[in-house]
Order: sequence, then C-alpha cells, then structure tokens
Amino acid sequence: MIRTALLAATALTFAMPAIAADTAATPASAGISGLGIRNIGSAAMSGRIAALAARVEDDGKVTIFVGAASGGVWKSDDGGTSFTPKFDKQPVQSIGAVALDPTNKQTVWVGTGEAWTRNSVSVGNGIYKSTDGGDNWTLMGLPNVERITKIVVHPTNGNIVYACAPGALWSDSPDRGLYKTSDGGKTWTQILKGPNLSTGCSGISLDPSNPDRLIAGLWDFRRKGWTFRSGGEGPDAPSGSAMAISEDGGKTWKMLDATTSKGLPKGPWGRIEVVHAPSMPNRVYAVIEHAKTALYVSEDGGKSWEARDSSRNMVWRPFYFQKLVVDPTNADRVFKMNLRVIVSDNAGKSFSDTAGGSHADWHDVWVNPKNPKHLIGADDGGMWISYDGGSKWWHSRNLPISQFYHVAIDDKDPYQVYGGLQDNSSWVGDSEYPGGITNHRWENLYGGDGFWVLPDPASPDHVYAEYQGGNIAWINRKTLEQKAIQPKAGYKEKLRFNWNTPMALSPHDKSVLYLGSQYLHRTRDHGNTWERISPDLSTNNPAKQQQEKSGGITVDNSSAEMHTTIYSISESPKAAGTIWVGTDDGNVQVTTNGGGAWTNVTKALKLGADNWVSWVEASQHDANTAYVAVDRHVFGDMAPHIFVTRDGGKSFARIAGPTTAGIRGYAHVIKEDRVDRNILYAGTEFGMFISRNGGANWEEFRPGNFPAVAVRDIAQSKKGDDLVLATHGRGIWVIDDVSPLRELTPTVVASNVTLVASAPVEQRIQGNGGWSEGDANFVGDNPADGAVITYYQKARHVIGRMKMEIIGPDGQLVEELPTSKRKGLNRVVWSMRTKPPLVPPAASLAGNSVVGQRVLPGQYKVRLTKAGEVTEVPLTLAIDPRASFTADDRKAQYASAERVKALFQRMTGLTFGLVALARDANTAANDAKATPAAKKAAQELALKAADLRKQVVATTEGGAITGEERLRENMDMAYGQIISTEGRPPAYAVARVDALEKELKEVEDAFAALKATKAAALNSELTRAGITPISLAAVQVDMVPTGGQMTALGRGLVGARYFGDFRSLAFPRKKR
Amino acid sequence: MRIASRALAALLLAGTAYLPAQAQPAAEPTAADLVAKNLAARGGSAALAALKSVSLDGKLVFPGGFELTYNEVRSGGAVRVDAALQGLALVQAYDGKGGGWRINPFEGRKDAEPMSDDEARSFADAAPIAGVLLSASSDGSSISYLGREDFDGTNCYKLKVAQKDGDEFVYLIDPDSMLEVKITETRKLRGAVQVSESELGDYEAVGGVMFPMSIESGPQGSSQRQRVIIAKASANPDAPATLFSQPK
Repeated sequence: MIRTALLAATALTFAMPAIAADTAATPASAGISGLGIRNIGSAAMSGRIAALAARVEDDGKVTIFVGAASGGVWKSDDGGTSFTPKFDKQPVQSIGAVALDPTNKQTVWVGTGEAWTRNSVSVGNGIYKSTDGGDNWTLMGLPNVERITKIVVHPTNGNIVYACAPGALWSDSPDRGLYKTSDGGKTWTQILKGPNLSTGCSGISLDPSNPDRLIAGLWDFRRKGWTFRSGGEGPDAPSGSAMAISEDGGKTWKMLDATTSKGLPKGPWGRIEVVHAPSMPNRVYAVIEHAKTALYVSEDGGKSWEARDSSRNMVWRPFYFQKLVVDPTNADRVFKMNLRVIVSDNAGKSFSDTAGGSHADWHDVWVNPKNPKHLIGADDGGMWISYDGGSKWWHSRNLPISQFYHVAIDDKDPYQVYGGLQDNSSWVGDSEYPGGITNHRWENLYGGDGFWVLPDPASPDHVYAEYQGGNIAWINRKTLEQKAIQPKAGYKEKLRFNWNTPMALSPHDKSVLYLGSQYLHRTRDHGNTWERISPDLSTNNPAKQQQEKSGGITVDNSSAEMHTTIYSISESPKAAGTIWVGTDDGNVQVTTNGGGAWTNVTKALKLGADNWVSWVEASQHDANTAYVAVDRHVFGDMAPHIFVTRDGGKSFARIAGPTTAGIRGYAHVIKEDRVDRNILYAGTEFGMFISRNGGANWEEFRPGNFPAVAVRDIAQSKKGDDLVLATHGRGIWVIDDVSPLRELTPTVVASNVTLVASAPVEQRIQGNGGWSEGDANFVGDNPADGAVITYYQKARHVIGRMKMEIIGPDGQLVEELPTSKRKGLNRVVWSMRTKPPLVPPAASLAGNSVVGQRVLPGQYKVRLTKAGEVTEVPLTLAIDPRASFTADDRKAQYASAERVKALFQRMTGLTFGLVALARDANTAANDAKATPAAKKAAQELALKAADLRKQVVATTEGGAITGEERLRENMDMAYGQIISTEGRPPAYAVARVDALEKELKEVEDAFAALKATKAAALNSELTRAGITPISLAAVQVDMVPTGGQMTALGRGLVGARYFGDFRSLAFPRKKR
Repeated sequence: MRIASRALAALLLAGTAYLPAQAQPAAEPTAADLVAKNLAARGGSAALAALKSVSLDGKLVFPGGFELTYNEVRSGGAVRVDAALQGLALVQAYDGKGGGWRINPFEGRKDAEPMSDDEARSFADAAPIAGVLLSASSDGSSISYLGREDFDGTNCYKLKVAQKDGDEFVYLIDPDSMLEVKITETRKLRGAVQVSESELGDYEAVGGVMFPMSIESGPQGSSQRQRVIIAKASANPDAPATLFSQPK
C-alpha cells in the first residue's frame, strides 16, 4: 500500500505537446517514388491482427477498426465487406491497441507497438488520435513506450484516456506503465509503474459503474534474441508483475495480491489480464500467470477472488495470448484468447472451444452489444466473423496484411512469386494474371510458419520450402508430395536451426542448395544426401543455448529462440565457392574454396558485442565485394547498420548507421541492382530505401500507396527489372521495371524535364481472366497494360499545358497521352492501340468496335512538350516472345482490321448521308410552299432513305439485347473476330468481310441511285415550287473515333461523380 | 488574351505576397489566409464574378486509353456533362434546383432518368464555377486548415471543406502557385461512405479564371485513374436553362 502510494506520488508527468503526425512522418520521396508500386497480396492467408474495435451505428451498420500486428490500421464502414487502410502515412505500422471514444464517434485512439510479443514482433512510436474517424492522425505522445496493449477512454469524458504500455521489449526502460491524460492527449502522466525497469502495464479495466475505480495489471517481461521471460527467470524467480486497484482515477493504488485479497495466488506472477463484466460491474475476471496459471473471478469488485478454469487454453503462451472479453450483455459469458478462442457460459467455471474453422492463435474478439451472436475475431490468420455466437466463422479475405519473411521468383514468363509467412505457411502466387491477382491465384505449398521458399532450378516442378526450425522439404508442385530433407544430427549432437533457417541456391550450379544450422550444409541431389562444408560458424556460446529454460514462469521452447545459428548465406555470382555466411550471434565468415577453409571476418566490421547479422550479400559484380546488414534491435537499437567490403572481408566500410540521413529502421536485407552496382536496395523495419551511389546517400521509396512497413526480402527479375518486395505486414509488392533509376544522373536530376528511354516493350498477349469476386475479396494489381513511358521533372507541373505524343515509324502522330504531373519520376502508359473504328451511330453500341487493334511492332518515338521544351526518346515495340504468330501474321491482322475500319468509315458516311437526306426531305415536305406532288415525293424520299438506313444500322430502341443485326452489327462481329487475336485472321473471317463489303456496296449503290432518281426528281419539283433544293453532296462526318481498351472499366474503375454509369460499357460483348 | 493576362498577374501577385512556408516556418497560415490566396491565384473575385458560364471541351480517358468526347457546361449553379461514345452521348446534369438526371444511351435507351437524391447532391458539387472550395464561405460550409502534407514531393497546404450535408473535401494547395492540386472527396451514397481522389494540373485561364485542364480521378486506394483532358475552354458561352433541365 505504502509502496504503491509512493509510486503514484512520484509519478512522472510528461508535458507532451501534440506532434502533428503528418510532419513527424518522413515525407514521401520526391524523386524515385514515382516509379510506383503495386500490391499483389495476398489476403488468402492474411496475417496477424493484434486488436479490434467496432461499433454499431445508428443505421445498424457496423464500423470496424482493425489493428494489424505489422500492417497498420484498417477501417470498414460496412461491417467487414470492404476495408480501407487508414494509417499508411504514419512512420510505423505495428499496432497494439485501438479504442473508440464512446463520447464522440469521430475520435479514434491507436496505440502503436504490438503487445503480443513474439520473437518477430515489430515496434511502435507512441499513441495516436484521430478526430475525423481515422482519416487523419496526430501523434499525441508516449514516443518511448514502444508498445501499447490497451487504451481505455472514460465513458463520459472523452478527454480522460488511459494507455497501458508494457513498454520496450528488448531493453530496460522507465517509460513503461499505465499512463493517463485528462486533456485529450495533450499531456500524459505515468500513474502506475512497476518496481523495476522491465515491468510495464499488461491490462487496465474501468469499473462500468464508477470509472474512477480502476484495476490494472503489471507485467515483468523481457526478450533477448535467445530467450525470453514472462515474470522472472523461472517459475519461482522474483518478478515485478502485480495487480493494483485505484479508487480515485489512478491517483493512489492498492496492491491486490495474496496478502491483501482473499483467493489470489501467491507470487511470483507473470502476465496479468483483468476486465470488468460490463453488465455486472462487481464481477471482475483476471487471468494471472503464475506457477498454476488460472482464471480468477471476483464478485465484489476485486476485494476477493476465486480460482476457476485452468485448462490448457487458459494457461498456454501468455506472452502471445491473454486477452479476456466479456459479452456486454451477459456477465457469465467470457471469451479467452489462446491457440484457440475458448468461451465460458458459466462465469469462467469451464470453457469450451469456439474457434470453429478459424486459423489459430487468437488475439481479440468483439461482441456486438445489439446482437451478441455476432462476433468479430482476430487471430494470426486475419479477421473472422461469426453470426452464430462463435460456432462457425467467415474469413475476411480482404485484408492483405500478410507477413512474409522472404521472397523468391522463378524464370517463368510471367514469373511466379514464392514466399513464406509468419504462421501462415509457404505460398506461390502470380505476378500478373488477366483480371487481376485474386486470392485464388495463390497456392499453399506446405505448412507451419513459412520462411524461405525457393523454386528448384534443377527440377522445375519442385520447390524447396520449410517450416520453423529448418524443417525443409522438397515439394512437387504438381502432386504436392512432400519429401522431408532436413539434415540430421550425429551421435550426441544437436543441430541448431534458426526459427528462420536460411537456404540459398548456388548461382553456379543449379543442383546445389545450401542450408544453415550452426554448420553450413550442402546438397547436390535435392536433399537425398547432405555434406557439411563448415565447422560451427557461430560463437557457440552456451549461455545462448538455454532455450529449454526460456519462457519465465511458463516454459516456452518453440524453436523461435534457437540461437547461435547461421542466419544468412550468399554465394558470389562472380566466384564459385566464395560463400558468405552471417550468424544470429554476430559472426561474418567467408570461404573462397567451397568450404575448404573459412575466415572469420567479424572483427573487420569494427562493431562491439551484441549483433545479429541479418543479411550477407555477395556482390553481383565483383568477387571481393559483399554487403552485411546487422540488426541490433534485439538489444534495443532500432537503427540500421549496413556495411560493404571491397577486399573480400579484410575491411568494411559503413554505408548506413544511426545518423545516416535518408534511411531508418533496423535492416533486414541489402541487395545490389543486377546491372548498376551503385544502386543498392535496403529493406528495413520501416520500409524500403534506395541508394543510387553505392550507399553514400539514401532515399526512401514511398509511393502514396506504400506504407512504412517492414521490408524483409527483395528479389529482382532479370526480365523486366521488376523489384519484388516481401513485406512483413502488407504482403508482396512489385515495383515494375526499376531500370529508370540507372538513368538518374546528376544532369538528369538537374533538368526541368527528361524522358527516360526504355528497353523494347513487348506487346504482351492479352487474355481474359478472373470473374466477379464481389467487394469482399482482395484483388492484386497487374502491371500496366501497355508501354510504360517514364520521365523525370524537377518540380510538380501545375500551370500550362504539358503534352506527350507518340510518333509512328512513318513520322505521323499516333496518339496524344495525358501526362502525370508529380515532382520526380513520372510514368504514363500507352495502350499501343490504334484508334477504334469510326462506326455509325445507332440504337446501341457496337461493342467490339470500341477498341482499335494494336499498332504494329516497330520503331516509335515519344515526344514530350513542356513549357516549350521538347524532348524525344525512341520507343521500340516488339512481339511477345510467347506469341505463336509471326510478324507477317501480325501485319495481316493489322491490315484486315484497317480494312474493316475503312468499311466502317464508308458506312458512317453513308449513314450520315441517309440521315441528312431523310431530314432534308422531311423539311421540304413540311415547307408551306411545297406542292402536293413535291410533298408526296419528299415524303417518299424520306421513307426510302430511312429504309436504306435500316439496312445499315440497328434502329430499334428499348434495350441492348434486341438481337437486331444489320450491316453495322454484322461488321462489328466480323471486326471482333479479327481483333480477337493478333495473329493472322482465318480465311473465313476475311471472306466474311468480303461479303459484308459487297452488301455495303449494294446499299451505297442504292443510295446513289436514290439520289440520282427520286432525289433529283424531288429537287426539280422543289425548284419549280420556289423551294431550295436539298443538298445531294456528300455529308461531312463530324464524329471522332472514341473508345479504347476497357480492362479498367471491367473492374468498375470509375472516378468522382461517374460512379456506376460507365460500368455498363465494360462487358457489351459478353452480354451477347 | 487580356483576361488571361489578368489571371496570370493575379497568380504572380499571389506568389510574391505569400512566401513559401519553408521561408517562414513559424507562421502557420489560417484557413482564411489560404482561401484568399487561392482566390487570388484563381484570378480574383472580380474575374470570378464576371464569369457567368463556362464550357469545357475535351476528352474523358479511362486507363488503357478508353476515350470519350467530353463537354462540360456550368452556369448559374447548374452543370451538364456530355460524354459520347460512337456518337451516343451519356448525359449527366444537375439543374441547379435540387434535381439531377441522366441519359445513358449505351444500351438502347435514350430517355432521361432522374438521379437519386444522393447522386444529384453529388453532382451538384460539380456545378459551382468557382468550385467547392471558393464557394464554401457562401454556402454554409466550414473550412479548416489541417497543416502541411507531402504530396509526391510537394509540401502542400491542406484544407478541409465540410459541407452542411456531411460531405467533405480535403484540398492540397500547391505552395508555389497556391492552386489546388489534389482533392479528396468523402461522401455518403446510399448510406455508404465513398472516397474519391482527384489530381489537378495544366491550369489555364478561362475568362480570367484559372481552371485545371487536366483532372485525373478515381476511388481512393486504386492506382488506376480516369482523366479529363480539356482541349478548349470558353468563357460565358450561351447556356440556356433548358440545357440543364430534364427533358420530358
């Protein structure tokens, strides 16, 4: 009692001025981010969600906020049908808590830094507030608490908020504990803290009947790279964990323990979760981790307690699952998160499984207070919705928050993408697919937690994949047969495989695969046999090999803490047998003779103790050059540390450190551009960073749609120069064609505007894929469907015209394109199509003729005009190498399409002439001076013209599906057949055009005859009557070709104020 | 020509009167300051008042190069847009009196159909010649300054217009020209929130008032955009009320 009062009395008050989140965030890069980036998902497996908040709105809709473990905040306004990311502009993506202000629907609080503290957990940077429903955020302070597990807003005073901060995971910190603000977040007071620098806050609950009565849990917890403890170092070791109650809004506290409260167990304790029953304020539930972890229930507001359930899912892994949720309508119904979510209907006396067909590893549940059968859940597989109280669950497949560790690509065209994910197995997906990359385009390959997945270059039907602890398998992609090929230990030996065991292929020998334990293993026969090609390359420090004691009060040895292991492997593409190895305990070792001898070059890094080598990368350009990334976040250092050696490891130079501008966050991966050795790509916990001068300067790559998410691995395609990023929280992203980075010389960067020449552009085969997915499924973006034209401009273009033109091989203008205006690199896409045919207007669209055929391959030019400055670059178009047709076939198809266009042109002129003739004849018939004979002749002429028009175009209105086929409609179908392929049209297609041309000629002849006979005769009558004769000259057509490629329309892509209206254009052909 | 020069002069004046924020970091502008600068950059109140109608002709381009001809006419709080494909014009109009209508001829019918109230309300926001931002002070909307926001390398001013009906427009103002370069529009249609973004550029003077000749827009979160490219703009064209009234 005295001790806690003192704690409160000495509580620190932080006068933390509100920091504008927008200014705190690193601005998006001005130059390079214009390359753009696309997310290919997937949401099939989704990823871990740490926290949920939801509310039933007045109109019955449910608003949901999802706090992803490492993928930001997502909001749904429609009960989960669709989600929008709301936190992408902020500098961190790890979320620990989300709270909605019960007094103001526009106010949302987010605590960053997940508190389900597994080995791979990310970090946060404080508490954020939105006052506009999540659109804009302000960092309100607590910048040093690193993680926040719960935020509670006072039920009647929104200015009073409590933030429960377990605090820094990897280091001592005084900035942990329970915080309170009474002024809406302007200032925060630490109102409760633990007795040591490793004890923070694990739970906070306000008495619903008296919000000044609080019960809080304190948790003593610490992680190291090789162990962790919840509570003390063991079940009986001293711990700072505690539970405390305050009756005065946190001013003073009374400890709740075995000596003060009947029924509570003796310490030491570990993690404590505590929560009041909303509908019965005196009932309090608490899970208290101790030697016999159990659920404790108080019926008197915390004065006395009774131990209840202690089943496996109550006690297991409290560092990862501990949350309790009480049904707001039923005090006896309580959910406990664990590997499975369990529920009690008898106030915690017993529990049963209610996880249904969900994933596993539950972290949160929301119970609809208006309909408690409606639940929303969060686990390692994403978000789940139940409408039957938890018996069955829908999986939300619209949250691409997947947590990849690694990525690889194959050499297919288009390439496929491989990667393993946190608790979500190993997958392969498409980099592009007609209709978009849906969740269905991803295929699960293995199981467990996934890490490295490598397509076997020596056996294209196979991949290597693994689950945690180096459990590698050789998997047949056709049959999915798995062959476990993990090398095994010898007599009285233990092989130490990291949680994220490294694999690497040899760039010199397709049959060779390397695998790291503490030794480097090599197989040449898909794992049938292995040879060890190194001694123990780690420090082999026995103090870091005590994983059987890991966990603290609750032992937990899952291989996640396995240490003194090899963590990264890279063989030089320039020197067979030169292999670099990095270990999780700080060693960098290299062999130049395939493992015959090893040199420990760690000292050359000139680093102190406590390092984790997260990446070694042999240069693609020089045998003596290699890069090393060191991750020190498990020692509390969140800065990047990246080095390069250019002398085979004799010395290293630092190219990124704590004070390096333009890069931030602990480094996961460093890679060289495959062509330009000066271009480096670094992935850190806070995003993607690029250097264009060998590491001298760094620039954040942060397009507007790309958050500051952890980039764990990078692959670069040889064809197309795509950069494929594995993010740990937002899935796989692709930067299509990074080659323009190589053109950003100082001269270019200083220029007002410069066009960047591209490699020859393939006219890719265009298929038709996908189907209506509904609005509740994620669909990944395809690469641009056309020729991508890149240019650089020094400043945003605001005033005056900017024009981009495509000039054909004959020097004629082919197309004028809209330009992009941003500062830095810009991209514009040209469809490479001709203008559509000019078809005569009719009752409805000629669906096939809204698009032109592709231009012929050849040498084109791009011309950019800005403020009078004109620049040009060549643009080469080539046939897709996968095409089955020849260049001559293409020419034949092009010519056939042009022939039909010419016929359409004639048909349009004919139609305009007929319409004009009928109109003028009707005008004459209605002229007061017209004689009866002239009137009759004019009426007959108008009818004849109208009849002829009806032979040319469909005229029946009333709906699109009239089935009325006239010359125009038949020609449209003939045209559709010709442009359905880029190859040579079949002879019968050409013959069909011949027939239609003959039919067109007959109508043209009839029109000419009509003008020569009846129209001429009418004009004679009109002249005699003193009326101006009608014109028989050719009518000028005042239309321009319209239409184009409509793939985007097919996806319902429409902008402001046109929503919906153009969608009907998308599938006119399919409707027929 | 004379009118265009006046607008540019106003723009230059705005540029000299308001130093970029980097030069005076301590003095954050107010919303009113920024609106005044934007008004000056657009051409000033006198030029706006003299502009009774405006016609914008060009093309509407969807990704992939799918083009329609485009004509937009605004006058007296009404607006009409014709977008034509194969000679069939999709017409959308707001009559300035609370009613919206459309003709969608692409599938065989050319009858005018009334818009839903939400759609009409949405389309009405396209009607003011001055635009939503400069109309806000007179239509009861509130304007607030939200600070600076990086927009693809440009450190823009951020203004929010909250309309009485709950719709919101967030503007990013280019600090050099003081013209709006991005609009994020949040509105409810049939009770569901829809957010769209528009990026504006290629400003030119029309009757002394600066208008963007390039607008690309699309749903928030989508990397794909539709573009309106204006080739010809006219000040004070003939715009009879019948142009905006729903045909019987």
